[in-house]
Amino acid sequence: MRDGSIPPGWSYNPSRCSERLILVLLALAGFGIALYLSLYQLAVFSTVWEPFFGAGSQNVLHSQLMRALPVPDSALGALGYLIEAVLGWAGGNERWRVQPWLVIFYGLTVASLAFVSIVLVIFQSAFLNAWCTLCLGSAAISINLVGPVMDEVLASLQHIKRESSLGDSLWRAFWGLKPNVAANH
Amino acid sequence: MLPRIINLILGLWLMAAPAVLGYGGAARGNDRIAGPLSVSCAIIAAWEITRALRILNAVVAIWLLIAPWLLAFSGIEILNSTLVGFLLLGCALVRGYVRHSFGGGWSSLWEPGLRGSSTNDQ
Repeated sequence: MRDGSIPPGWSYNPSRCSERLILVLLALAGFGIALYLSLYQLAVFSTVWEPFFGAGSQNVLHSQLMRALPVPDSALGALGYLIEAVLGWAGGNERWRVQPWLVIFYGLTVASLAFVSIVLVIFQSAFLNAWCTLCLGSAAISINLVGPVMDEVLASLQHIKRESSLGDSLWRAFWGLKPNVAANH
Repeated sequence: MLPRIINLILGLWLMAAPAVLGYGGAARGNDRIAGPLSVSCAIIAAWEITRALRILNAVVAIWLLIAPWLLAFSGIEILNSTLVGFLLLGCALVRGYVRHSFGGGWSSLWEPGLRGSSTNDQ
């Protein structure tokens, strides 16, 4: 008898709630940092916490690129973290199998946010020659989320492939619908 | 884990080196792009499921070895880039210990059949 919550061929369940709780807390920490930075960018706060790099944070947060969009980039970051926290929290212990779409959207969100973070860090490091402690902290969180989230994504993709190889459509497997037995026979 | 930690430190060093060793120009720009890239890959590759990303750091390492000659670095910049490049390459080539199994891993997605798709297969 095999525990149904562990994907075939796996040594553990990538969707287990204990692991996901830590990721939700990390995403919420990222949300807090990004919210604080966006309030500074919106001039709600007149100063920003910067223990190491002097005027670095101000230079980064007031740079052209960070203000290229109608809303501050950190506000978009905060929204991204909030979505990550919700998608990390939603669903049960077997969501890699029950809600593959949820897991895949979660993975895409985490990967996009990490990618943007890397680009922004390179931008401040190579082109502004300025550092912003909280921006780096936020980037570290979003990059660190990639690894622990991708196991679940792989389990969901394997599940979709397995279902479709049994004759179910990719579409139905993606949305976690019951195998359409009547259509097959 | 150790190769990824050393890799992380090397990447952070690349970000700090222009200020610490006092160089600018192309070498500074180069190291401040390679540094964050290397750190990011090291963090992601620290996880078993995304260990394959260490290969990207082998690419960064090879770039650090050839960049001094393509971008005309001088003195300490050549030394630093070459030294970090070799160390980074060494770290990137070590796969490290993988404790868990992932149902055939990422390659199972494009290989025919799926390991463990049916129980008690002969």
